[in-house]
Amino acid sequence: MKTNAVSKTYDGRTVLQMPAVDLAADTVHVVLGSNGSGKSTWAKILAGVLAADGGTMPLTEPCRVGYLPQKAYAFRMSMEKNLRIAANDREREDRLLAQLHLTELRKAPANRLSGGESARMALARVLMKPFDLLILDEPSAAMDMESTMLAEKAILDYKKETGAAVLLITHSIRQARRVGDGLFFLKNGMPVETGPCKEHLDAPGTKELKEFLEFYGG
Amino acid sequence: MQTAVIKAIELILAGDRELINILLVTARMSLSSSLIALAVGVPLGLILGAAVFRGRSVFLVINRTLMGMPPVVCGLLFYMLFSGVGPFRHYKLLFTVELMILAQVVLITPIVIGNMENYVSGIAGPVRETAKGLGLSRMTTLRLLMNECAYVICSTYLLAFARAIAEVGAISMVGGAIAWKTNVMTTAIMMYTNRGNFTLGVALGLILMALSLIVNILVTVLQRMISK
Repeated sequence: MKTNAVSKTYDGRTVLQMPAVDLAADTVHVVLGSNGSGKSTWAKILAGVLAADGGTMPLTEPCRVGYLPQKAYAFRMSMEKNLRIAANDREREDRLLAQLHLTELRKAPANRLSGGESARMALARVLMKPFDLLILDEPSAAMDMESTMLAEKAILDYKKETGAAVLLITHSIRQARRVGDGLFFLKNGMPVETGPCKEHLDAPGTKELKEFLEFYGG
Repeated sequence: MQTAVIKAIELILAGDRELINILLVTARMSLSSSLIALAVGVPLGLILGAAVFRGRSVFLVINRTLMGMPPVVCGLLFYMLFSGVGPFRHYKLLFTVELMILAQVVLITPIVIGNMENYVSGIAGPVRETAKGLGLSRMTTLRLLMNECAYVICSTYLLAFARAIAEVGAISMVGGAIAWKTNVMTTAIMMYTNRGNFTLGVALGLILMALSLIVNILVTVLQRMISK
């Protein structure tokens, strides 16, 4: 799947200048970068929730794009009904709830879940549907280590099952090592280093990524 | 106070015909005006809160100004429009319950719009982003957004009803507080107080509070059912 070159400017300040890239299917593309590096802006443009400058289409051809925003909304209904908003597939629903240790909470009102439970529910909901490109914006930011591991397993299973290209935005270098196939390291709205994830994290090719890894304990 | 409570109970138990008439006019006026205001204000509040369009901030400023409109100003406006020299005199609505309801709707609708807009603008962005991320259609997104508003519509109705039942300035001007016709609880309380009959005034006040309590309980029960 190919993306077009996109940019985004706010009040004369360019926050994103992303060239065209190829997002291979059946691959987890990790997006790393500090706050304000343009990760979420790129994700929103690819998901179609934010318009790029000049109205550029983010993808070269139409495809099914799924997106989990940083602050996904928990609808005022039970957790299982939240999942059914995405797709009415009981078998898949049962499997995802079990995989993310949510089965006991399936009847619970989604708007009264804890932060970690709500994050797992939001992940399960987006994984209900098969997409060609799945964009996950820090899906485990509110999760503890155990939940993070469950979430990562669910994401990897989804990729294997659907063959989707997964774009995973994270601040966790450990998570990037565990699940990442490809890497986009962004700084000031531009990709500074891209390529195979583990290779670049083991031997960063730029001063910027090296400093980032040192700072974030990679 | 004790005398007033006893008097209030006596009035209700005796089935005083004038009191029953006042109660019925009050119920008709406050229920009709608050429900009409809700029917008009909820969709407008939804649009103002969820849609992005040129001139939205102008509508917001106008609505916020109308939310603070003094009831007597509204009453004066309607009095001038429907009195013997006004452009709408042919409708012969002055000193009728219908015009009291109309004036109330004008006073309450901006409050309903403002309350809805305030809530919807807070959730519309996350709801839209989440729905788009799940590949949902615009119609489904709108349905989900409206479903999210069910709870707040109940509390908005309570606000509208409270404003309607407590109103006195505008309705006394356009209704004239005519006994057996346009006299409602608030105007009756004013009338009895002016006559020095404080006991009856307080008794009516207590009945008014009891009415408000009953509506509040009913709507709160409905709200709880929705939240489940």
